[in-house]
Amino acid sequence: MEYLILFGVFTVLMLIGTPIAFCLGISSLATVGYMGLPPLVVFQRLSAGISVFTLMAIPFFIFAGDLMVRGGIAARIVAFAGSLIGHVRGGLGQVNIAASTLFGGISGSAVAEAAAVGGIMIPQMKERGYGADYAVNVTSMSALIALLLPPSHNMIIYSISGGGRISIADLFTAGIIPGLLLAAALSVTAYIVARKRGYPTEAFPGFARVGYYLLQSLPGMLLIAIIFGGVRSGVFTATESSCIAVIYAVLVTVLVYRSMSWRDFVHATQQAVRTTAMVLLIIGMAGAFGWLMAYLHVAQISLNWMQSVSDNPLVILLMINIVLLVLGTFMDMSPLIIITTPIFLPVVAAFGVDPVHFGVIMILNLGIGLNTPPLGPVQFVAAAVARISIWEAMRSVWPFYIAGLTVLMLVTYVPALSLWLPSVFK
Amino acid sequence: AECEITLRSSDTHPDGYPTVEGVKAMAAEVKEKTEGRICIEVFPSSQLGEEKDTIEQTQFGVIDMVRASFGSFNDIVPITQTLSLPYLYTSPEHQHAVMDGPIGEEIAAAFEEKDLIALAYYDGGARNFYNSQKPIQTVEDLKGMKFRVMQNDVFVDMMSALGANATPMPYGEVYSSIQTGVIDGAENNFPSYDSSGHAEVAKYFTLDQHLMVPELVAVSKTSWEKLSPEDQEIMRTAAKNSATIQRQLWAEQEKASEEKVIAAGAEVIRDVDKTAFIEAMAPVYEKYVTTPEAQDLVKRIRETQPAQ
Amino acid sequence: MLGSIAALSRLNSLLSRISLWLAGSGLVAMTIIVFAQVFMRYVMNDSLLWVEPVAILLMSWFIFLGSAVGVHESFHMGFDVLLFFLPEGAGTWLRALSDLAVLTFSIGMAVYGWQLMERTWDSTLPVIRLPGGFSYMPLFVGGVLMTLFVLEHLLNRLSGRKAEAEPDAEDILMTEA
Ligand code: NA
Ligand code: NA
Repeated sequence: MEYLILFGVFTVLMLIGTPIAFCLGISSLATVGYMGLPPLVVFQRLSAGISVFTLMAIPFFIFAGDLMVRGGIAARIVAFAGSLIGHVRGGLGQVNIAASTLFGGISGSAVAEAAAVGGIMIPQMKERGYGADYAVNVTSMSALIALLLPPSHNMIIYSISGGGRISIADLFTAGIIPGLLLAAALSVTAYIVARKRGYPTEAFPGFARVGYYLLQSLPGMLLIAIIFGGVRSGVFTATESSCIAVIYAVLVTVLVYRSMSWRDFVHATQQAVRTTAMVLLIIGMAGAFGWLMAYLHVAQISLNWMQSVSDNPLVILLMINIVLLVLGTFMDMSPLIIITTPIFLPVVAAFGVDPVHFGVIMILNLGIGLNTPPLGPVQFVAAAVARISIWEAMRSVWPFYIAGLTVLMLVTYVPALSLWLPSVFK
Repeated sequence: AECEITLRSSDTHPDGYPTVEGVKAMAAEVKEKTEGRICIEVFPSSQLGEEKDTIEQTQFGVIDMVRASFGSFNDIVPITQTLSLPYLYTSPEHQHAVMDGPIGEEIAAAFEEKDLIALAYYDGGARNFYNSQKPIQTVEDLKGMKFRVMQNDVFVDMMSALGANATPMPYGEVYSSIQTGVIDGAENNFPSYDSSGHAEVAKYFTLDQHLMVPELVAVSKTSWEKLSPEDQEIMRTAAKNSATIQRQLWAEQEKASEEKVIAAGAEVIRDVDKTAFIEAMAPVYEKYVTTPEAQDLVKRIRETQPAQ
Repeated sequence: MLGSIAALSRLNSLLSRISLWLAGSGLVAMTIIVFAQVFMRYVMNDSLLWVEPVAILLMSWFIFLGSAVGVHESFHMGFDVLLFFLPEGAGTWLRALSDLAVLTFSIGMAVYGWQLMERTWDSTLPVIRLPGGFSYMPLFVGGVLMTLFVLEHLLNRLSGRKAEAEPDAEDILMTEA
């Protein structure tokens, strides 16, 4: 009965449109009430769930991302990518992917990336005769690269949801090869589709221009070294490097680019507060929900069930991937990480899957869900920028989905893609 | 028989750790003596929250039992701070004698005022300094070095009194911070020194035993009052017996970890001039032992003879 | 009735604006003190012990203030696909039901936030030496604000008016992480 109330109330509230954070909180409150436990505990867990020092990296990375988009760092990176590889077949599509890869190295948000890179690239692509659907598909799928390359606040959420014992430095490192693999797979797909549709190439602007744009974008891209180098070498913790990213983004945009006004700064700050509050409230509420799941042994029960279905880790991983893909269609990434990690991580751990490897699988899997309706925020942004409907974008997205799913399967069944690079740093 | 009463107990340590096994031993005895009526279920690995949170939950009657370090009670039950002072106990046996004697009873009364029934005092082991730089033998050796300590006023002041820099940081960051020289070292007991992997990056382990912080197993007053006096008695006895088992397990674990880190290349410095360390604590005791009661308590602890 | 809703609505707009500014300032303050700690540790070779607990308190404040603003501006992510396919009347009732659930939770947050504050008041927060209850104050204040904000939505719906702008696609997109 407790289980029915916890998950039933959650589902019903979600279906009537209650915000996810409150679905988690209210279903916990109802369950605690039914079990006769003091309701106090729900609110204690809510407060304790967000009073964690490591969580601070999330507002900082989000804040830094908002500052970089508003302050023109993203725009300069796009210009550099354009000069570098615009001359490949389907040039602007390739530029879009390259820019997403570079910007993904300093931002952890797929939506910010779709807005930043897509905002600049999609109008250009349409103007140069590319199909709007193609522009949207390239933008929305390559935005997922930001989730895999460091920094990635979703990886921090995963680490915390996994009990805070999974190394953030290892997760950041583990995402690099899968991130680049995704970039490569999308690049090949974009090339094939562009050939078929006969899209143009850009003229190579000459090395002088490339050098000029590189110099222009260098101050922004230096953040890659600061964040990854800092976290990986252990000189800075993830929290410290995220804070430095904010300060650095302010310095670059105010002093170097002189592109950040007070108004821009206030806007970026308020936007960061909104996003952060939304994400972290879900984390806090999930603290209460997760407490009840532990109290009710949900992880143990699902482990037993999974073990009764199969004892083959490959089958278990496939099952989990399918469940996550389905859930990812309907729900947003961070709440799903928060809710499902405590359930699935002990299961896969029992089957000998490395938690860092599983983290990469989960991030990529749920990332694909950000591009599937009915709840596909990344796709929504890209489509909104291109002024086409989701359905128009959906019609031609399948080659890109196939590329994404292929990378997901490779990442799932070749653990070395995730685990080799972290092992090099040990 | 089915469990009529299930008492849920929280622990931050993983399954298999001496504190978890201690409460499980208590659970086994209680189950046997009540013919299966009362079950104690241990939730290890911080599943229900960190120590401070689960102490609150026990006080509020959300969960029934908690195992936590005295360090986590410092800001709730002030007397525990006096009992966690650095270099207060000369040996684990000394601490056991204190906790099992009249002083232990007094502390139990202080816990009861905060809705916690203290059932048993476990061994938390002795914490020692370890670092990546040099073998530390004297207080002078510590000067200017940076050590990670727990976020606790006494521990921070202890480091300053020793002339070192206290650096609070999340436990998970310690390994890489030592590796890259952000800090020189940290402090902990042998089992944690081993399991955290810190021995790999900080090979000088100084057996100075600066902190011996007792561990408490407590029941929520709300849950306690629902038990019959007979059941309460069974619980008390089982808890006391489990303390003996836990202390034994702890000693074994400590020994095994010590052997393991030495085999892996750690250098254990046993030749430590403890008197100088103890003398350096004067300002700390001056700051925290202010009331006549606390002064008397420290005096009585120092006079207690170690258990045999 | 309508007059008092309008008064509540004016009060709420003011409270929401203040909260957003306070939360933004909290985020900036948190950035500055954490950076100060990094600077002190690496450059001055010294640690600022109070930074971690103060930063956590600040974070707690801006999350609960920001979340309350989220209730006012309806930017918390939800799943409203079903509402899309339902006739408008049913949708309004379901939204009202959802508001009622959020209202209940918000009241709980205020009431139990207060209780938690009271019950932990005589413990002490390490290092900063404030009463332990301070860590639950943002919960209480956030609960009070959310109660006022969601009450306005609910009253608006019940009086047949469209509540504060429903989040349209674009708004959700821009706030989504
Ligand atoms: Na990234
Ligand atoms: Na989706």
